[in-house]
Amino acid sequence: MRYALPQPYREIPHTADVGVAVEGASAEEALARLVLALSALLAGGGAVPVEREEEVEVPAGPDPAQTAVALLRELLFRFATEHLLAGACEVLRLDRSGARLRVGFGRYHPERHAEGADVKAVTYHGARFERSGEAWRAQVLLDI
Amino acid sequence: MRLQRVSDYLWEIPREGGMKVPGRVYSDGMPAPDDPALQQVANVAFLPGIVRYSLAMPDIHWGYGFPIGGVAAVDGERGAVSPGGVGYDINCGVRVVATRLEAAELRPHVHAVTAQLYRDIPTGVGSSHAIPKLTEAEMDAVLSKGARWAVGRGYVAGSDDLEHCEEGGRLAGADPSCVSARARQRGSDQLGTLGSGNHFLEVDRVAEVYDPAVAEAFGLRLGQVAVQIHSGSRGLGYQVCDEALAELTPTMARYGPEYAAIPDPQLACAPIGSPAGQRYLGAMMAAANFAWANRQVMTGLTVRALCHALGLSEREIGARLVYDVCHNVAKVEEHLVEGRPRRLLVHRKGATRAFGPGDPRVPAAYREVGQPVLIPGDMGRYSYVLAGTARAMEETFGSSCHGAGRLLSRHQALRLARGRSITRELKDKGIEVISRGKKTLGEEMSEAYKDVARVVAVMAGAGISRLVARLDPMGVIKG
Repeated sequence: MRYALPQPYREIPHTADVGVAVEGASAEEALARLVLALSALLAGGGAVPVEREEEVEVPAGPDPAQTAVALLRELLFRFATEHLLAGACEVLRLDRSGARLRVGFGRYHPERHAEGADVKAVTYHGARFERSGEAWRAQVLLDI
Repeated sequence: MRLQRVSDYLWEIPREGGMKVPGRVYSDGMPAPDDPALQQVANVAFLPGIVRYSLAMPDIHWGYGFPIGGVAAVDGERGAVSPGGVGYDINCGVRVVATRLEAAELRPHVHAVTAQLYRDIPTGVGSSHAIPKLTEAEMDAVLSKGARWAVGRGYVAGSDDLEHCEEGGRLAGADPSCVSARARQRGSDQLGTLGSGNHFLEVDRVAEVYDPAVAEAFGLRLGQVAVQIHSGSRGLGYQVCDEALAELTPTMARYGPEYAAIPDPQLACAPIGSPAGQRYLGAMMAAANFAWANRQVMTGLTVRALCHALGLSEREIGARLVYDVCHNVAKVEEHLVEGRPRRLLVHRKGATRAFGPGDPRVPAAYREVGQPVLIPGDMGRYSYVLAGTARAMEETFGSSCHGAGRLLSRHQALRLARGRSITRELKDKGIEVISRGKKTLGEEMSEAYKDVARVVAVMAGAGISRLVARLDPMGVIKG
């Protein structure tokens, strides 16, 4: 299933930086929402019209949370070097070998995204990706 | 968290569980026992080879793995190096450039000067192209030469800039070959840029002198205009840290049970002598050199902006680098431990080197009084210049605080800023501020930070640093 901005997420209070937490009915939905939460922060709530589609793949980490961190690290690198933001995404595969997504990228626009956060890095500290009852919950802390 | 009072300004977290040493926190009262940063102080005490204490300065706040405001020295051969103990913004640091200008003369021109600085020094998310993009060969030179590279290209304040940088503006152990293509890609167009978040460039006036003799040695006098620059290694440094953590987090347990017992993946570490440890150290030191070159380029751009905005010559501006200090770094240093010199790797994560009088590593001009310790506050109040002490050498491996420390989360600060014009409020206080986005101003407003006066008072009260002078902002540029 394809998800597009905006998607629900919650900011986790952190003294110096910012955390994001999401929920999904499935692991795929939680991962897609986590990806889009990162974009929402980088875009400062500004719209991200999709200009091109690409597949992005990361190998599995030692646990699902670290796989999610690896995916967000990759997307942050694309943002830092090509000014690309994920405006939409679909999780094609999420299993023990890693994650593969089709990502609809839009371009960072200095005026439209002027209120965006300058995220330096995606951290492992407090990273979670787990089933909680009927839902999947995921969170990461981002270094600003 | 259990805390025991050691003295008026010092509290101890007793050793328990896997902690190899106790934690020690400088504070002007008992720290809040439920502060998550204290748990991080205890976690750092698990590091293999840690010596004496896991230390926290009075500006401590919750970080990742390490608390911000943390200091950990490990044995230089048998200890562990932790990328989290340096942080993402490797060699984030601050410098103070003094000038011949008088604040009273500058006052009518503050807007023009601030606007010129904002035009000439790129700020904000992904800021780039202050100078032409570096070629691969230029990048290698920057990574190995640090501030010297920028000085060689004419980005200078005075004639003794390099002597007035911690380590001469260059870590000799840097190994550019350990810096990945991705890290180089993130940094190649960012040299000479400020970035965002808490980074800033300020035009200040020396508003108070507490120790005239030391201030004179530092070249500071009442009413003088000085410029503060706070920035680091930009995307290049973030990527170096990110890649090291990605390598070490899943693999550190293979170094043995001490490493498997590390309680937070963000504290991932490796033995200093291991190939992974050496690779990280080589890359981290190269990133530190990039940061020094970055601040040095911005120094040159600042001097040119002042000349342009004021119609004065460089000679009339009379810029001179007072000092440049690192806030996020790990360095091999020799310290006396139980009366014997020991080679240590000192991690300072949001902490400043504060070497005392007589230390040969302090520049000759300052050796009698101790090194300048530069402590930025927030954009609406003030910053401080302190001096290192012999006590710091005895208690904290020659380390002091690094800033005010955040009080409110960014979210809380933005809520408090809603409906207000921070720009107008600062203007009413006589401070011109120019920023890329309004959000940064809300996140970075004064109320978001502890009062840095209280933070430096703890360091002075504990004898870790001496108060020398206070700098008040007149013009500020932010990302």
